[in-house]
Amino acid sequence: MIRFEGAGKRHPDGTIAVEGLDLEVPTGRTTVLVGPSGCGKTTLLRMVNRMVEPTSGRVLLDGTDVAELEPAKLRRGIGYVIQQAGLFPHRRVIDNIATVPRLLGWDRKRARARAAELLELVGLAPDLAKRYPFQLSGGQQQRVGVARALAADPPVLLMDEPFSAVDPVVRAGLQDELLRLQSELHKTVLFVTHDIEEAVRLGDQVVVLREHGKIAQLADPHTLLTAPADDGVAAFLGRDRGLRGLGLRPASAVVLRPVDAGLRYGNWELALDDGRRPIGWIDRAAASADLHPAAGFRPEADTLRTALDAAVLSPAGVAVALDADGRATGTASREAVLAALPALPAPSALPAPAVDGADGADRADGVPLRKDGAPGTPTVSQTDSRADSRTDGAAGGR
Amino acid sequence: MNWLTWLSDFFSDPEQHSGPNSIAHRVWEHLLFSGEALLYATVLAVPLGLLIGYTGRGVTAVTAFAGAARALPTLGLVTLTVLLAGVNDTAALVPLVALAAPPLLVAAVEGVRGTDPDVRDAARGVGLTHPQVLWQVCLPSAAPTLLAGFRTATVQVIATATVAAYVGLGGLGRYVIDGLATRRYAVTAGGALLVVLLAVGAQLLFSLLSRYALPPGARPGRRGR
Repeated sequence: MIRFEGAGKRHPDGTIAVEGLDLEVPTGRTTVLVGPSGCGKTTLLRMVNRMVEPTSGRVLLDGTDVAELEPAKLRRGIGYVIQQAGLFPHRRVIDNIATVPRLLGWDRKRARARAAELLELVGLAPDLAKRYPFQLSGGQQQRVGVARALAADPPVLLMDEPFSAVDPVVRAGLQDELLRLQSELHKTVLFVTHDIEEAVRLGDQVVVLREHGKIAQLADPHTLLTAPADDGVAAFLGRDRGLRGLGLRPASAVVLRPVDAGLRYGNWELALDDGRRPIGWIDRAAASADLHPAAGFRPEADTLRTALDAAVLSPAGVAVALDADGRATGTASREAVLAALPALPAPSALPAPAVDGADGADRADGVPLRKDGAPGTPTVSQTDSRADSRTDGAAGGR
Repeated sequence: MNWLTWLSDFFSDPEQHSGPNSIAHRVWEHLLFSGEALLYATVLAVPLGLLIGYTGRGVTAVTAFAGAARALPTLGLVTLTVLLAGVNDTAALVPLVALAAPPLLVAAVEGVRGTDPDVRDAARGVGLTHPQVLWQVCLPSAAPTLLAGFRTATVQVIATATVAAYVGLGGLGRYVIDGLATRRYAVTAGGALLVVLLAVGAQLLFSLLSRYALPPGARPGRRGR
């Protein structure tokens, strides 16, 4: 466990990076620090491995003040991944990964064997081992960076915007990979990003920071999206957070209509090939038998958001559930997808000061607005009106 | 007589084929002087440059010093050394070392400073100590720049080592100065050509080195991707 106790950083010129933060980063979970640039998130991360020394307070690693540990030794026990990967350009991939084991005194053969294991673990082909970093794509370099951080099997992993410099498709792949790794390895991960989307995707707990490292909200991703602590956090979360919250719910909750029960929805019929793979939707009311693309989702792997997206895209309003081989296992209408959400209270049970639409429904989930119960929390109606204007402002500025 | 006949006279003259005044011996002396000067300059300038480049302290001073050193008149320095130390190897070596050290110093400083800051940060972050970062990360990264510094220094030293003859020492400068003194211009032309050939040869050698001796990741023109 990493524990920040009043950890603060004041630069020699008097500017304050972090005012003094108390935070616990639980063992075996992923904690994401997220906030605008200049909120001190990177400074906080770098305090853990003493790349930055706090000017006040302290940082404890499993109960020991890191200031008492020798920096180089401390760092060899902590995985460190940065934005541009920072691979050594003159060393082959395999030797980049073997860096920390070699520093720990392993012989070359053992270190390389370990590095080869890690290459596979992060999903890279073995023949990349002999390449130099400049011969890899940005995404591959980042994977090597993660492999290097994990080489000596450290219990703690510090990741400073590791996926910010790659394109969105590669980034999503890297995020999936990290989630998969974490489900196997259960490291104590402290992850820094400015991307709220990434934060809610990867974090078991998300810490939203504002200037000087002040915590605006500390919550699990679902709570964060459905119940932001204040209008500042709501503005930072941006638009569509209700819909994005669907991305945190598994699609397996959707009740499917079995394929055998019929493939017809009104005029629309789903055509399957011999292997039960969907070919497309056919409009039986139309003169021609044109095929319209059938969007699908995988209940075991995808989220409600993907399922709803597939249903919205379908001309029949129906998403096709697929197994790993692309065979249709069932269908789900838009209504069926939405029915997988937790039941709402009956309309009469909504709170009396009727706030408009979706926002009110979110709040009705009954999640407390603030964990710390700070005094002077504004009334619901005030918060909402300001949240609306802030959100608009943020959207307009994009 | 044109310079082509001078050269053929010089290279066919049996006087230049054996003994202490033979071409082989003079070339050897010349290379020995140059090598010695480069060695001392390296020992003086490179470690200092690496350290200055790594810490970032004293970079302004180095730039100023290197600029000033370039203005030193070599011949004047030779005369001064002879007056102070008499006619011996030192008299020729001091000005040559003074000539070779500044480009090496600047190359070492700039090479280390050119290390990708992200790479340095990562190196520190995964647990390399300062000497390890300098040795394992900054030095390989500085290698191309350092090699370019060596090329400049070597070519300049080889070209300038002719001054050794000015104070009565050996090397290819003997031909140039003795030829002028005795009005045997063929000898002067031959000596001058040999100096040029040596310098060009050194230049070529370094081009090959920078192409083939550096690890691929440290070769120039392959970074910034």
